[in-house]
Amino acid sequence: MKALGRIVAVHSYKGGTGKTLLSINLAATLAKRGKKVCLFDLDFRAPSLATLLKVDKANCWLNDYLNGTCEIDKVLIDTSSRIGNSGKMLVAFANPATEAIRDMSAKDRKWEMRALGRILALRESLLRDRDFDYLIFDTSPGLQYSSINAIVSADLVVVATTFDRSDVDGTKRMLHELYELFEKKTEIVLNKVMQDVPSKSGDDLQAKVKDTYQAPLLGVIPCFCDILRAQGDVIYAQDKPDHPLARILDEMVATIEKST
Amino acid sequence: MASQEVLNRKPMQVLERIRENLEKLNEKMEVMIELQKHGKKGLEQPLPDTPLDVMTLLAMPDHLRKTAMTVCRLGRATADEVAQQTKRARAVESAYLNQLVIMGYLKKERNGRKAYFYVERESQG
Repeated sequence: MKALGRIVAVHSYKGGTGKTLLSINLAATLAKRGKKVCLFDLDFRAPSLATLLKVDKANCWLNDYLNGTCEIDKVLIDTSSRIGNSGKMLVAFANPATEAIRDMSAKDRKWEMRALGRILALRESLLRDRDFDYLIFDTSPGLQYSSINAIVSADLVVVATTFDRSDVDGTKRMLHELYELFEKKTEIVLNKVMQDVPSKSGDDLQAKVKDTYQAPLLGVIPCFCDILRAQGDVIYAQDKPDHPLARILDEMVATIEKST
Repeated sequence: MASQEVLNRKPMQVLERIRENLEKLNEKMEVMIELQKHGKKGLEQPLPDTPLDVMTLLAMPDHLRKTAMTVCRLGRATADEVAQQTKRARAVESAYLNQLVIMGYLKKERNGRKAYFYVERESQG
Protein backbone atom coordinates (compact mmCIF):
# COMPACT_ATOMS: atom_id res chain seq x y z
CA MET A 1 0.00 0.00 0.00
CA LYS A 2 1.21 3.49 -0.81
CA ALA A 3 2.27 5.59 2.17
CA LEU A 4 -0.04 8.44 3.08
CA GLY A 5 1.09 11.84 1.83
CA ARG A 6 2.39 14.58 4.05
CA ILE A 7 1.53 18.12 5.04
CA VAL A 8 4.31 20.71 5.04
CA ALA A 9 3.67 24.16 6.53
CA VAL A 10 6.00 26.99 5.53
CA HIS A 11 6.14 29.56 8.29
CA SER A 12 8.34 32.37 9.64
CA TYR A 13 8.48 34.84 12.49
CA LYS A 14 8.70 37.94 10.36
CA GLY A 15 7.22 38.88 7.03
CA GLY A 16 9.32 39.09 3.91
CA THR A 17 11.49 36.10 4.73
CA GLY A 18 10.56 34.30 1.53
CA LYS A 19 7.76 31.99 2.65
CA THR A 20 5.71 32.41 -0.49
CA LEU A 21 8.67 32.08 -2.86
CA LEU A 22 9.68 28.98 -0.96
CA SER A 23 6.15 27.52 -0.89
CA ILE A 24 5.52 27.92 -4.63
CA ASN A 25 8.94 26.63 -5.53
CA LEU A 26 8.85 23.67 -3.16
CA ALA A 27 5.45 22.74 -4.57
CA ALA A 28 6.68 23.13 -8.16
CA THR A 29 9.86 21.14 -7.48
CA LEU A 30 7.83 18.31 -5.96
CA ALA A 31 5.43 18.39 -8.92
CA LYS A 32 8.39 18.28 -11.31
CA ARG A 33 9.54 15.16 -9.58
CA GLY A 34 6.23 13.55 -10.46
CA LYS A 35 4.41 14.18 -7.21
CA LYS A 36 0.79 15.17 -6.83
CA VAL A 37 0.91 18.40 -4.88
CA CYS A 38 -1.58 20.88 -3.54
CA LEU A 39 -0.46 24.35 -2.53
CA PHE A 40 -2.58 26.31 -0.02
CA ASP A 41 -2.57 30.07 0.51
CA LEU A 42 -3.30 30.27 4.23
CA ASP A 43 -2.05 33.86 4.45
CA PHE A 44 -5.52 35.40 4.57
CA ARG A 45 -4.21 38.76 5.78
CA ALA A 46 -2.05 39.25 2.73
CA PRO A 47 -2.97 36.69 0.06
CA SER A 48 -0.39 36.49 -2.69
CA LEU A 49 -0.71 33.24 -4.64
CA ALA A 50 -3.67 34.53 -6.65
CA THR A 51 -1.56 37.43 -7.93
CA LEU A 52 1.60 35.42 -8.48
CA LEU A 53 -0.16 32.63 -10.36
CA LYS A 54 -2.41 35.11 -12.16
CA VAL A 55 -5.77 33.84 -10.98
CA ASP A 56 -8.22 36.67 -10.48
CA LYS A 57 -11.43 34.74 -10.28
CA ALA A 58 -12.44 31.57 -8.50
CA ASN A 59 -15.82 29.96 -8.00
CA CYS A 60 -14.80 29.15 -4.47
CA TRP A 61 -11.91 30.46 -2.41
CA LEU A 62 -10.15 28.71 0.43
CA ASN A 63 -11.99 31.22 2.65
CA ASP A 64 -15.30 29.61 1.60
CA TYR A 65 -14.08 26.12 2.44
CA LEU A 66 -13.05 27.26 5.92
CA ASN A 67 -16.38 29.04 6.31
CA GLY A 68 -18.05 25.73 5.58
CA THR A 69 -19.92 27.01 2.52
CA CYS A 70 -18.08 25.04 -0.11
CA GLU A 71 -16.36 21.66 -0.62
CA ILE A 72 -12.60 21.54 -1.04
CA ASP A 73 -12.93 20.08 -4.56
CA LYS A 74 -14.52 23.31 -5.74
CA VAL A 75 -11.67 25.39 -4.33
CA LEU A 76 -8.78 23.60 -6.00
CA ILE A 77 -7.56 25.02 -9.28
CA ASP A 78 -5.30 22.92 -11.45
CA THR A 79 -2.15 24.85 -12.30
CA SER A 80 -0.24 21.84 -13.65
CA SER A 81 0.00 23.49 -17.06
CA ARG A 82 2.07 26.23 -15.44
CA ILE A 83 4.47 23.51 -14.32
CA GLY A 84 4.26 21.58 -17.57
CA ASN A 85 5.48 18.27 -16.31
CA SER A 86 4.43 14.82 -15.27
CA GLY A 87 3.39 15.88 -11.80
CA LYS A 88 0.28 17.68 -10.71
CA MET A 89 0.04 20.99 -8.92
CA LEU A 90 -3.31 22.22 -7.66
CA VAL A 91 -3.74 25.41 -5.71
CA ALA A 92 -6.25 26.55 -3.09
CA PHE A 93 -6.29 30.33 -3.30
CA ALA A 94 -7.09 32.82 -0.57
CA ASN A 95 -9.43 35.58 -1.64
CA PRO A 96 -7.32 38.72 -2.14
CA ALA A 97 -10.28 41.14 -2.00
CA THR A 98 -10.01 43.71 0.80
CA GLU A 99 -13.46 42.79 2.06
CA ALA A 100 -12.45 39.15 2.37
CA ILE A 101 -9.28 40.07 4.26
CA ARG A 102 -11.31 42.18 6.65
CA ASP A 103 -13.82 39.38 7.09
CA MET A 104 -11.10 36.82 7.85
CA SER A 105 -9.38 39.03 10.40
CA ALA A 106 -12.61 39.46 12.36
CA LYS A 107 -13.16 35.75 13.06
CA ASP A 108 -13.55 34.60 16.65
CA ARG A 109 -12.03 31.68 18.53
CA LYS A 110 -14.91 29.34 17.82
CA TRP A 111 -14.61 29.97 14.12
CA GLU A 112 -10.86 29.35 14.26
CA MET A 113 -11.56 26.07 16.01
CA ARG A 114 -13.95 24.96 13.32
CA ALA A 115 -11.45 26.10 10.70
CA LEU A 116 -8.84 23.88 12.35
CA GLY A 117 -11.25 20.97 12.08
CA ARG A 118 -11.62 21.66 8.35
CA ILE A 119 -7.88 21.93 7.81
CA LEU A 120 -7.38 18.66 9.67
CA ALA A 121 -10.07 17.04 7.50
CA LEU A 122 -7.87 17.66 4.43
CA ARG A 123 -5.72 14.76 5.53
CA GLU A 124 -8.61 12.45 4.77
CA SER A 125 -10.19 14.20 1.82
CA LEU A 126 -6.97 14.93 -0.08
CA LEU A 127 -4.15 12.73 1.21
CA ARG A 128 -6.16 9.58 1.74
CA ASP A 129 -9.09 9.76 -0.67
CA ARG A 130 -7.47 11.65 -3.52
CA ASP A 131 -3.92 10.37 -3.25
CA PHE A 132 -2.12 13.68 -2.96
CA ASP A 133 1.53 13.21 -2.04
CA TYR A 134 2.06 16.63 -0.49
CA LEU A 135 0.01 19.53 0.80
CA ILE A 136 2.08 22.70 1.12
CA PHE A 137 0.70 25.42 3.42
CA ASP A 138 1.90 28.97 2.83
CA THR A 139 1.11 30.85 6.06
CA SER A 140 1.00 34.32 7.63
CA PRO A 141 4.09 35.30 9.59
CA GLY A 142 4.24 35.25 13.37
CA LEU A 143 1.81 34.05 15.98
CA GLN A 144 -1.56 34.16 14.30
CA TYR A 145 -4.52 31.88 14.50
CA SER A 146 -4.51 30.82 10.86
CA SER A 147 -0.79 30.09 10.97
CA ILE A 148 -0.94 28.12 14.19
CA ASN A 149 -3.87 26.13 12.83
CA ALA A 150 -1.70 25.31 9.82
CA ILE A 151 1.27 24.39 12.00
CA VAL A 152 -0.83 22.14 14.23
CA SER A 153 -2.14 20.32 11.15
CA ALA A 154 1.27 19.83 9.53
CA ASP A 155 3.72 16.92 9.68
CA LEU A 156 6.67 19.17 9.02
CA VAL A 157 7.19 22.89 9.56
CA VAL A 158 9.69 24.58 7.28
CA VAL A 159 10.77 27.78 8.98
CA ALA A 160 12.09 30.51 6.70
CA THR A 161 14.46 32.90 8.41
CA THR A 162 17.09 35.50 7.64
CA PHE A 163 20.10 36.74 9.58
CA ASP A 164 18.19 39.84 10.61
CA ARG A 165 18.66 40.07 14.36
CA SER A 166 15.01 40.48 15.29
CA ASP A 167 14.14 37.60 12.98
CA VAL A 168 16.76 35.33 14.59
CA ASP A 169 15.48 36.14 18.07
CA GLY A 170 11.84 35.69 17.15
CA THR A 171 12.53 32.45 15.30
CA LYS A 172 14.41 31.06 18.28
CA ARG A 173 11.48 31.88 20.53
CA MET A 174 9.00 30.28 18.14
CA LEU A 175 11.05 27.10 17.96
CA HIS A 176 10.86 26.64 21.71
CA GLU A 177 7.54 28.24 22.49
CA LEU A 178 5.47 27.20 19.52
CA TYR A 179 6.66 24.31 17.34
CA GLU A 180 8.19 22.41 20.23
CA LEU A 181 5.06 22.70 22.35
CA PHE A 182 3.04 21.15 19.56
CA GLU A 183 5.72 18.48 19.12
CA LYS A 184 6.32 19.49 15.52
CA LYS A 185 9.20 18.43 13.39
CA THR A 186 10.94 21.57 12.10
CA GLU A 187 13.53 22.38 9.44
CA ILE A 188 15.18 25.77 9.01
CA VAL A 189 15.69 27.49 5.67
CA LEU A 190 18.15 30.33 5.87
CA ASN A 191 17.23 32.87 3.22
CA LYS A 192 18.91 35.95 1.72
CA VAL A 193 22.33 34.92 2.96
CA MET A 194 25.17 37.22 1.92
CA GLN A 195 28.01 34.91 1.13
CA ASP A 196 30.76 35.27 -1.41
CA VAL A 197 32.29 31.85 -0.99
CA PRO A 198 29.52 29.41 -1.75
CA SER A 199 31.34 26.11 -1.36
CA LYS A 200 33.36 25.54 1.81
CA SER A 201 31.66 28.03 4.06
CA GLY A 202 28.61 25.78 3.99
CA ASP A 203 29.92 23.74 6.90
CA ASP A 204 30.49 26.79 9.07
CA LEU A 205 27.01 28.01 8.35
CA GLN A 206 25.56 24.63 9.19
CA ALA A 207 27.30 24.68 12.57
CA LYS A 208 26.29 28.25 13.20
CA VAL A 209 22.64 27.56 12.46
CA LYS A 210 22.67 24.43 14.59
CA ASP A 211 24.21 26.38 17.41
CA THR A 212 21.74 29.25 17.11
CA TYR A 213 18.50 27.35 16.60
CA GLN A 214 19.16 23.82 17.81
CA ALA A 215 17.18 22.66 14.80
CA PRO A 216 18.16 20.96 11.53
CA LEU A 217 19.01 23.13 8.52
CA LEU A 218 17.09 22.22 5.39
CA GLY A 219 18.92 24.62 3.11
CA VAL A 220 20.62 27.95 2.57
CA ILE A 221 19.46 30.38 -0.09
CA PRO A 222 21.94 33.11 -0.96
CA CYS A 223 20.72 36.61 -1.67
CA PHE A 224 20.00 36.72 -5.40
CA CYS A 225 19.34 40.13 -6.87
CA ASP A 226 17.68 38.57 -9.91
CA ILE A 227 15.03 37.01 -7.69
CA LEU A 228 14.08 40.51 -6.52
CA ARG A 229 14.25 41.75 -10.09
CA ALA A 230 11.84 39.03 -11.27
CA GLN A 231 9.13 40.61 -9.07
CA GLY A 232 7.74 37.24 -8.16
CA ASP A 233 6.96 36.30 -11.72
CA VAL A 234 9.31 33.37 -12.00
CA ILE A 235 8.83 29.87 -10.67
CA TYR A 236 12.48 28.89 -10.58
CA ALA A 237 11.89 25.17 -10.34
CA GLN A 238 10.10 25.34 -13.69
CA ASP A 239 11.12 28.48 -15.58
CA LYS A 240 14.81 28.52 -14.74
CA PRO A 241 15.92 24.98 -14.00
CA ASP A 242 19.58 26.04 -14.34
CA HIS A 243 19.33 28.78 -11.76
CA PRO A 244 21.27 27.98 -8.55
CA LEU A 245 17.98 28.29 -6.64
CA ALA A 246 16.51 25.40 -8.62
CA ARG A 247 19.40 23.20 -7.54
CA ILE A 248 19.04 24.28 -3.90
CA LEU A 249 15.33 23.50 -4.06
CA ASP A 250 16.06 20.08 -5.49
CA GLU A 251 18.31 19.32 -2.55
CA MET A 252 15.73 20.57 -0.06
CA VAL A 253 12.98 18.48 -1.61
CA ALA A 254 15.24 15.41 -1.64
CA THR A 255 15.74 15.87 2.10
CA ILE A 256 12.01 16.30 2.67
CA GLU A 257 11.24 13.18 0.64
CA LYS A 258 13.89 11.17 2.45
CA SER A 259 12.51 12.08 5.86
CA THR A 260 9.06 10.78 4.93
CA MET B 1 -38.22 -18.01 30.23
CA ALA B 2 -38.51 -14.31 29.63
CA SER B 3 -39.36 -13.62 33.29
CA GLN B 4 -36.38 -15.73 34.36
CA GLU B 5 -34.13 -13.52 32.26
CA VAL B 6 -35.49 -10.38 33.91
CA LEU B 7 -34.90 -11.88 37.33
CA ASN B 8 -31.34 -12.72 36.40
CA ARG B 9 -30.68 -9.30 35.02
CA LYS B 10 -31.78 -7.34 38.06
CA PRO B 11 -28.95 -8.15 40.47
CA MET B 12 -26.54 -7.60 37.60
CA GLN B 13 -28.01 -4.17 36.99
CA VAL B 14 -27.67 -3.28 40.65
CA LEU B 15 -24.07 -4.41 40.69
CA GLU B 16 -23.40 -2.45 37.52
CA ARG B 17 -24.90 0.67 39.10
CA ILE B 18 -22.73 0.25 42.17
CA ARG B 19 -19.65 -0.20 40.04
CA GLU B 20 -20.48 2.88 38.02
CA ASN B 21 -20.96 4.94 41.13
CA LEU B 22 -17.69 3.71 42.55
CA GLU B 23 -15.96 4.70 39.35
CA LYS B 24 -17.48 8.15 39.47
CA LEU B 25 -16.31 8.54 43.07
CA ASN B 26 -12.89 7.38 42.07
CA GLU B 27 -12.69 9.98 39.33
CA LYS B 28 -13.81 12.74 41.68
CA MET B 29 -11.09 11.74 44.10
CA GLU B 30 -8.51 11.77 41.33
CA VAL B 31 -9.57 15.29 40.43
CA MET B 32 -9.32 16.39 44.06
CA ILE B 33 -5.83 14.93 44.29
CA GLU B 34 -4.86 16.74 41.10
CA LEU B 35 -6.27 20.02 42.36
CA GLN B 36 -4.25 19.72 45.54
CA LYS B 37 -1.09 18.83 43.67
CA HIS B 38 -1.28 21.84 41.43
CA GLY B 39 -2.34 24.19 44.17
CA LYS B 40 -5.66 24.90 42.48
CA LYS B 41 -3.86 27.36 40.26
CA GLY B 42 -6.07 28.62 37.50
CA LEU B 43 -8.85 26.23 38.36
CA GLU B 44 -10.90 28.30 40.77
CA GLN B 45 -13.38 29.29 38.11
CA PRO B 46 -14.55 26.44 35.98
CA LEU B 47 -15.51 27.85 32.63
CA PRO B 48 -18.23 25.92 30.89
CA ASP B 49 -17.81 25.26 27.17
CA THR B 50 -14.57 27.08 26.62
CA PRO B 51 -13.38 26.46 23.09
CA LEU B 52 -10.23 24.40 22.96
CA ASP B 53 -8.47 26.37 20.25
CA VAL B 54 -4.80 26.47 19.37
CA MET B 55 -4.08 29.61 21.40
CA THR B 56 -5.62 27.99 24.48
CA LEU B 57 -3.57 24.86 23.89
CA LEU B 58 -0.43 26.98 23.68
CA ALA B 59 -1.16 28.68 26.98
CA MET B 60 -1.85 25.42 28.84
CA PRO B 61 0.64 23.85 31.25
CA ASP B 62 2.70 21.16 29.51
CA HIS B 63 1.17 18.18 31.31
CA LEU B 64 -2.38 19.17 30.35
CA ARG B 65 -1.46 20.15 26.79
CA LYS B 66 -0.17 16.67 26.14
CA THR B 67 -3.45 15.12 27.26
CA ALA B 68 -5.59 17.68 25.43
CA MET B 69 -3.65 17.26 22.19
CA THR B 70 -4.01 13.52 22.36
CA VAL B 71 -7.77 13.83 22.69
CA CYS B 72 -7.79 16.27 19.76
CA ARG B 73 -5.87 13.76 17.69
CA LEU B 74 -8.02 10.77 18.63
CA GLY B 75 -11.28 12.70 18.41
CA ARG B 76 -12.93 10.70 21.15
CA ALA B 77 -11.07 8.61 23.65
CA THR B 78 -11.10 6.85 27.00
CA ALA B 79 -8.44 7.46 29.65
CA ASP B 80 -6.96 4.11 28.67
CA GLU B 81 -6.59 5.09 25.02
CA VAL B 82 -5.02 8.44 25.94
CA ALA B 83 -2.61 6.73 28.34
CA GLN B 84 -1.50 4.38 25.59
CA GLN B 85 -0.53 7.35 23.42
CA THR B 86 1.12 9.48 26.09
CA LYS B 87 2.81 6.53 27.80
CA ARG B 88 1.64 7.82 31.16
CA ALA B 89 -0.39 5.91 33.73
CA ARG B 90 -4.11 5.56 33.15
CA ALA B 91 -4.91 7.08 36.55
CA VAL B 92 -2.79 10.12 35.71
CA GLU B 93 -4.53 10.61 32.37
CA SER B 94 -7.90 10.09 34.00
CA ALA B 95 -7.11 12.89 36.44
CA TYR B 96 -5.88 15.24 33.70
CA LEU B 97 -8.88 14.46 31.51
CA ASN B 98 -11.28 15.20 34.33
CA GLN B 99 -9.40 18.37 35.09
CA LEU B 100 -9.84 19.43 31.45
CA VAL B 101 -13.55 18.67 31.77
CA ILE B 102 -13.77 20.88 34.87
CA MET B 103 -11.98 23.64 33.00
CA GLY B 104 -14.62 23.36 30.30
CA TYR B 105 -12.29 22.28 27.47
CA LEU B 106 -13.45 18.69 27.15
CA LYS B 107 -16.78 16.95 27.31
CA LYS B 108 -17.32 13.64 28.99
CA GLU B 109 -19.86 11.04 28.08
CA ARG B 110 -20.53 7.69 29.68
CA ASN B 111 -21.36 4.74 27.53
CA GLY B 112 -22.02 1.81 29.81
CA ARG B 113 -18.80 1.04 31.62
CA LYS B 114 -16.64 3.41 29.67
CA ALA B 115 -16.20 7.15 29.94
CA TYR B 116 -15.36 8.91 26.70
CA PHE B 117 -13.71 12.30 26.46
CA TYR B 118 -13.99 14.55 23.44
CA VAL B 119 -13.74 18.12 22.22
CA GLU B 120 -17.10 19.56 21.45
CA ARG B 121 -17.16 20.93 17.96
CA GLU B 122 -20.20 22.82 16.96
CA SER B 123 -22.16 21.19 14.22
CA GLN B 124 -22.71 24.33 12.22
CA GLY B 125 -20.03 26.50 10.69
